[in-house]
Amino acid sequence: MILDIISAVLILLGGVLSLAAAVGMLRFADLLSRMHASAKPQVLGLIAVALAIALQYPNWATVTTLAIIISFQLVTIPVATHMVGRAGYRTKHLRRSMLYRDELAEAVDRAEAREVAWERRKGIGTDHNDG
Amino acid sequence: MSQIVLDTLVFVASVLLAASAIIALYRIVRGPSILDRMIATDVVLASIMCGLGGFMALSGRTDLLPVLVVLAMLGFVGSVSVSRYVSKSDSMTPGAEVGSLSDFSSLDWHMPTESTGDGEGQDDAKTRPVEESENEEPWPDDVARGIYDSPDGPDAITVQPDEEPVTVGLDQGADPDAGAAGEGLGTGPDPGPDDSDDGARTPTETDDEDSAREADDAARESDDEGGGRR
Repeated sequence: MILDIISAVLILLGGVLSLAAAVGMLRFADLLSRMHASAKPQVLGLIAVALAIALQYPNWATVTTLAIIISFQLVTIPVATHMVGRAGYRTKHLRRSMLYRDELAEAVDRAEAREVAWERRKGIGTDHNDG
Repeated sequence: MSQIVLDTLVFVASVLLAASAIIALYRIVRGPSILDRMIATDVVLASIMCGLGGFMALSGRTDLLPVLVVLAMLGFVGSVSVSRYVSKSDSMTPGAEVGSLSDFSSLDWHMPTESTGDGEGQDDAKTRPVEESENEEPWPDDVARGIYDSPDGPDAITVQPDEEPVTVGLDQGADPDAGAAGEGLGTGPDPGPDDSDDGARTPTETDDEDSAREADDAARESDDEGGGRR
């Protein structure tokens, strides 16, 4: 019976994390802030619920399947979040006033300067070949 | 007693999950962009996964575990495909030209660094054979698509409105060399390397042109630039 209550508390923890993500989704003003909020139930809530299942049915088949699910989620969620953030940065779905520091802008500036220098040197090379 | 506590906990958890799903659905409806909708869809999927896991823990339906795997994979594939779609479509926006930074091609990964100035020809021939073949036969296809700034290309069609004030500014400098260079722009059948300097100006070089015009000795500055490039 105590295991049932522990499982119920873990499920409640998953529900609380999910509600926190939903409230952040509703209240936050930015794409990056919403991404920050939405990552909680995808990892922590799922781990809590998987612990609840594993406490209720501790046999090998269930536990290994839960481990597969959790490891898959831990691998894929950063990739998906990174791609969403990159798409949001490139399409400028972010508020500059909410950023303390934009380190990617410096990298973009450096890449742009390198591209300019490369184009200029390419122009020199073709002219030299023509003359 | 403990049964009442258990029922209360399960009821509260189900209410929280339902509320989170409804709030995330509101964000899906109201989301300003498709990325916000995608993140809200992920939150709805996470709520569904938590609810399904709780249902499995309470009722013993552990045969539903592959459904959790499918839901996790659905969220990943959905996020990646939508963000790829958005990244693809941002090069279609009117501000982004072909040569701008947001337009990545496979040639950009072979861009030589600054330190390899010595073996320049070898590096170019080795790493970028497509560019070399474009240098030999630049047009008409690449020029028409705008991906190559050709010295022999149709300057009179595309670049002529841009270079018109440039030649006027050079003539105002009363420099005979600059006037001759401006005269040789569109007249001869073989324009030569002069057009590659003046005619095929990329947007990055127009910035240099503006800064050179802002300097006090504009004509000599542009002459030095042209001589350096030739």
